[in-house]
Amino acid sequence: MLHSLAGILIFILTLTAIMTRPFRMSEALSAAIGAILMLVFRFLSPIEAVRLLLGEWNIFGFFLGLMTIAAIADQAGIFEVLANQTARLAGGSASKLFFGVFMVGTLLTAFLSNDATALILTPAVYAMVTRLRLPVLPFMFVCTFIADTASFLLPVSNPINILILESFGSGLGIFLHYLFLPALFCIILNVGLFWFLFRAELRRGFKLSDLPVVELPSPAYFRFTLVSLGAIAVAFVLASFFRAPLSIVALSGAAILLVGSRRYGRLSWVRLKGEISWSLFLFIGAVFLIIRAVKDLGLTDSFGALLIHLAGSSPLWSTLITAAGSALGANLINNVPMALVMVPTLHGLIAADQARIGLVYAAIMGCDLGPNLTTVGSLATMFWLVILRRKGLEVSSIEYFKLGVLIVPIMLAVGSVLIWLR
Amino acid sequence: MMKILCAIGTRGGPDLMRRLYEAVGSGHEVRILHVIDSGPRDTLEKYLHEPRLLRHPPPPPPHGPGPFLGASSRAASANAEPLDEAETAAGEAALEEARQEGTRLGLVAQIDIKKGEPEKIIVAEARASSVALIAILASEGSFGRPKIGPESVGHTARFVLDHAPCDVLLVRGRLGETIRGGREL
Repeated sequence: MLHSLAGILIFILTLTAIMTRPFRMSEALSAAIGAILMLVFRFLSPIEAVRLLLGEWNIFGFFLGLMTIAAIADQAGIFEVLANQTARLAGGSASKLFFGVFMVGTLLTAFLSNDATALILTPAVYAMVTRLRLPVLPFMFVCTFIADTASFLLPVSNPINILILESFGSGLGIFLHYLFLPALFCIILNVGLFWFLFRAELRRGFKLSDLPVVELPSPAYFRFTLVSLGAIAVAFVLASFFRAPLSIVALSGAAILLVGSRRYGRLSWVRLKGEISWSLFLFIGAVFLIIRAVKDLGLTDSFGALLIHLAGSSPLWSTLITAAGSALGANLINNVPMALVMVPTLHGLIAADQARIGLVYAAIMGCDLGPNLTTVGSLATMFWLVILRRKGLEVSSIEYFKLGVLIVPIMLAVGSVLIWLR
Repeated sequence: MMKILCAIGTRGGPDLMRRLYEAVGSGHEVRILHVIDSGPRDTLEKYLHEPRLLRHPPPPPPHGPGPFLGASSRAASANAEPLDEAETAAGEAALEEARQEGTRLGLVAQIDIKKGEPEKIIVAEARASSVALIAILASEGSFGRPKIGPESVGHTARFVLDHAPCDVLLVRGRLGETIRGGREL
């Protein structure tokens, strides 16, 4: 009994450290310490730990492949060209450019994952919008929000999806069956609401002549990268359809791009290494171990029981509560641990009742959309806060701000109903 | 002949010059200043230095890398260059537009670009070169700001009004444009 309590204590302390970052300690380090403590106190044997981590090769491979692909696409200038072309097609209208950025963000997120949009498209759009002398805030909002909102269109749109789907072995068909409509609806809702919020600022034009000419370091290399990215996108969809491991696609795609970059003399290992978040692997690995340890302590089962207790017998309620709970959890303890807490919980629930498979997708939606809710976590909100601080908190701005926070609950509610209707 | 500091954002420079000419006539020595606001850029870079895939509230103001395993450092230099270029190009384009309009109206216009917090730099520059007048737009029209009434003056213009060491010409809108948005008192 005392031993179990110690395990739960380690778990809670680790999550608290991840949440609060004491002494500005990185999440990866907190998680690693937690995992080591779990091993030291024998909540998990070292052999079991190694076996568990090796068993998750697909996830690690997927992360590595995806980050490499995004970094190389960035180096080849794909994102600048994309932003520029969008501006050209918008033909001088800020509103059209706004919708264009939404569309590009959706496509990029769908095939290259949310972080390609949030971290690589965002600076490209920022540079372009500044150059066109348009207000940057609406466009920054689009980039950070669409990265999350569009991230349950396809399994590859967010690594969190793979994290959850991995252990349920479901293919593209069932994923789309549950999540395509909610995703589509959330995107439309997002676009509509943002356009409404920013309509006054978007009622202006820009001069196409202000648009810089993107000088590609090597047009041939650019074309090669573009074609490879297209092929990788198709391969991702096919692999999801045939339930093939996505890491194989991601890693082969990365390998092709690496070989190509080398051939065109554009490969910079130093830069590439800097673009890959190595501590993420430590973080995910450590969280895997911690969650396994607490699963053995029965903590996730109790969590599942609590969920069902809260939901009562209504399937709609349980969908709503799963989605909202995942979203809240993703904000509190980060979406990776939240997704990993949900996996054994969902397994327990589904084992008891097969009809609850929709909850898996509700959890995916919650974990994906969740980060949009945090008021301090996203770039858009940081921008907003900078501007608010400077402006001395004007009433109208706060009103907009409230509306921004309102959008996530609406999306979650509507998405849950659509999942429940399936 | 008066020494005038004309502070512009990325838009509305020519309108401001026309209004200025209307108010004071030609022949004055006008320095057109654009300040690149460092706030949004700093915010963007702070965000890009957050660990990838781990969305997390930003730590308190960073002073160098964290003491432990730092966030993956997405090479800042890789991104900084195009952003710098874009901001400078936008500022230069705005200044050039304003200068052309000023010259056309017979004002002796010089241009200048700086970087930092616009409101503070404008006031400091006005003090340093002891100008007789600062001309500034009430706002660039963000957040659907009304042309007159509460909240119609943006934060930069408001700061300048409060702290300027000289007279300020606050320009509301374009020439010949009906000023709207005011509430009846």
